[in-house]
Amino acid sequence: MGAVYGLVGFGFSLVYRLTRVLAFAHGDIVVGGVFLGVLAVVGRTPVAAPLSPAASVELLVLALAAGAALSAAGYLLTVRPFRHDAVGWVAAGVAAGLLVRAGLGLALPAGAYAVPDPLHLDALSPDGVLRLPGGATLPVRVLGVLAVGLAVAVLAERFVVRSRVGLAMRAVADDSDAATLVGVATGRVVLVAFVLAGALAGLAGVLNAPGRALSLDAGVILGLKGVAAALLGGLGSVRGALAGGLVLGVVEQAAVALPALGAAYVDVVPLAILVVVLALRPQGLRSAYRVPVE
Amino acid sequence: MTTLAADLYLLLAALGLALSVGYAGLPMLGQGAFVAVGAFGTALLDRAGLPLGVAVLAAVAVGGVTGYVVAYGAARLEGALLALATWALAWLGYAVLVGFPGVSGGSQGLVRPAPTRLVSPSLGVELTLTPLVHIVAAGVLCVLVMAALARVERGPGGLDLAALREGPLVADALGVPVARRRRVVLATTAALGALAGAGTGVLQGVVAPADYSPLLSLELLVAVLLVGGARWWGPVVGVAALAALPPVADALARTSGADPGRSRGVLTAALLVAVLALRGPLRRRIGRRRRNPAELPGCSAGLGAVRPPVMAARGVVASYGALRALDGVDLDIRGGEVHALVGPNGSGKSTLLRVLAGALPADSGAITLDGAPVPRAGSQAARVRAGVVRTYQRTALLPGLSPLRQAQIGARRPSPYAVLRHLLATPSSRGETSAREAAGAVALASCGLAARADAVAVQLPAGEQRLLQVARAVATGARVLLLDEPAAGMSGAERAELVTVVHRIAGSGRAVLVVEHDMALVGRIADRVTVLAAGRAIASGPPAAVRADPVVRRAYLGNDRQEVPR
Repeated sequence: MGAVYGLVGFGFSLVYRLTRVLAFAHGDIVVGGVFLGVLAVVGRTPVAAPLSPAASVELLVLALAAGAALSAAGYLLTVRPFRHDAVGWVAAGVAAGLLVRAGLGLALPAGAYAVPDPLHLDALSPDGVLRLPGGATLPVRVLGVLAVGLAVAVLAERFVVRSRVGLAMRAVADDSDAATLVGVATGRVVLVAFVLAGALAGLAGVLNAPGRALSLDAGVILGLKGVAAALLGGLGSVRGALAGGLVLGVVEQAAVALPALGAAYVDVVPLAILVVVLALRPQGLRSAYRVPVE
Repeated sequence: MTTLAADLYLLLAALGLALSVGYAGLPMLGQGAFVAVGAFGTALLDRAGLPLGVAVLAAVAVGGVTGYVVAYGAARLEGALLALATWALAWLGYAVLVGFPGVSGGSQGLVRPAPTRLVSPSLGVELTLTPLVHIVAAGVLCVLVMAALARVERGPGGLDLAALREGPLVADALGVPVARRRRVVLATTAALGALAGAGTGVLQGVVAPADYSPLLSLELLVAVLLVGGARWWGPVVGVAALAALPPVADALARTSGADPGRSRGVLTAALLVAVLALRGPLRRRIGRRRRNPAELPGCSAGLGAVRPPVMAARGVVASYGALRALDGVDLDIRGGEVHALVGPNGSGKSTLLRVLAGALPADSGAITLDGAPVPRAGSQAARVRAGVVRTYQRTALLPGLSPLRQAQIGARRPSPYAVLRHLLATPSSRGETSAREAAGAVALASCGLAARADAVAVQLPAGEQRLLQVARAVATGARVLLLDEPAAGMSGAERAELVTVVHRIAGSGRAVLVVEHDMALVGRIADRVTVLAAGRAIASGPPAAVRADPVVRRAYLGNDRQEVPR
């Protein structure tokens, strides 16, 4: 789970760094991307049956594309018109998330769905589990999710640090007016960032969805857990979001495994962490001191 | 009947939310959670055997206290982060309800034992809670809250709320206790939400988690944003629009075969988007209906003389992280004097001003006013009460407010329970209100803005916008004014006016510190000049002497740190 939270938090952090906008619809984009892909490839009554290789590629590409498209649309429709009106973009972001959730709900009326796995992570070992020394078993999916999630996240992070577009992104993040003056197409850079964040969200969805019953409403909680990951790692720090995600995943699973707590705490603990961190250290746990703007 | 009663309770929750969102400008996205606290709290306490009235009061108290606690953490948050925190809270509350059937009764919810009767043997009252009783109770509560909102808006509370809404930074600099006001506002919002939840729960006889999902928070937000702003009647329109949602959603669901809950979600989202798109135009239309310019009360009175203060800084050291911005500065500011602070960019002028104003704590050193230490840094409001006020370098307007109202915000005086006393229209409160109006008017007049009292602040010329900031600071009654580049963006004529105004202020016995780059203006405006370089005061004295000082000349020609004598 940690890698998934990290990917969601990564996109959230990237968007925040560039625009100082909190992407309220980000979690719904994660789930929306998956379900749009599923709708197109499998149809309105998805089952977790193994997919053919062609359909797997199709689902993966469509989920990423749908995530990217939703994220870009979210930017153009809910962020850009309200750049200087915080209540405006907050409410518009929340409304966009609700629209994705409720709109897909019209096509997918059941409470939750089993979603096929286009990455076939279970096939990494013959019976889907890894036998550890000492008799314990570990679903091999978990390792697959962790490996794929971390690999993609590191690639994306390197992209932001190394590439020309990444350089432009960091210029916009530091001072978007100055970046505009030296010839950076600020609007396009921000759009690229939203597309990248959306594609990562789609991937996070594909990694997260199989192996459990996925409901449309899971998106918001997933998004908020991504935010918690981003905050734990220091809001605006892309690498920190990944680390924060891993920490959050471990804490959550520990809470569920504790006899004193249990499965009922799977959402309560991360959300409580989010609320407490926001109250105590709004800029995140790992943020350098900044001269306040007056 | 039951539907109307439920809608009236919804209106009560929306009115509470309007106080936070519309009046105080706090984007609160979690009102549904507080409604749930009221509903489930009442149901649980009622089942535990408490009398119903006590259960309701206890649940409302829990809601209010929760709101206060939340606000304790959230009061420092910048707008969007507050929205995020309260949105997370809405989902946290829902996660608890869903995850713990022991609290919420699971998907079936908690059922009250019927019949619903209020019996008080001591008072000899026995009342059956029919929907009609609920309508009367909820209606009376709504009317009371609306009347209170309308009354608060016209008094000292309204000025504080307007300052919170239009510019928290300016409010802080003018001595409005921003964090405290936010806590009270959020606690009141939460308590009204809990009250509405308690009423709804008792009315329906059953409280189920599905009715208190975060969608409720969003619906309430829609109801408040529909008209928006500080208007007590706004939520009435909003809730009326919300009441139309379920029938429309059901009709849609019947024709399309979709899930009613989902189509209600789509409609709510669509309504929210529509509200946001229409927000600007609607606000401009409503805003256009302005009252006629009021007579300026007490304009003829001059700026009252004050006991000349002495503010002294000794060995002040301040840093941003590893960067040492002030490296042991001494400074004396005296009443009746205009003291200019000059120096190259990055020499620490604004930092010194922030330290003096209490916005930034010094690492070491002492700051005294008339020999006594000033209040601890951290809240500028405490410094304002002690008599020290600052203006910002950037033009910081309160865009929606007339200059007179802005000056009145500055003219707040410490006065316990001012909002409550104004609500009850006590005689002392009436006296305070007129004194405050007069102080605001005098401050405007002293800055040459008497004719602009009812202008639209954003349409004033740049120079008058700068003067308005000075007027707000004067209105606080502070004896020490710290002006950060008041002449920035001013034309030549406007600068001449500024010199007149600043001399008038100093003439009343007040002390004025001016940060300024333009040495020609410094020569005209200042009685005394202090030159900062690399965080140290390298010279201080009359303008002519300082200008002739070879050390100062070297500093301005851009030499490095080593050549500045220690």
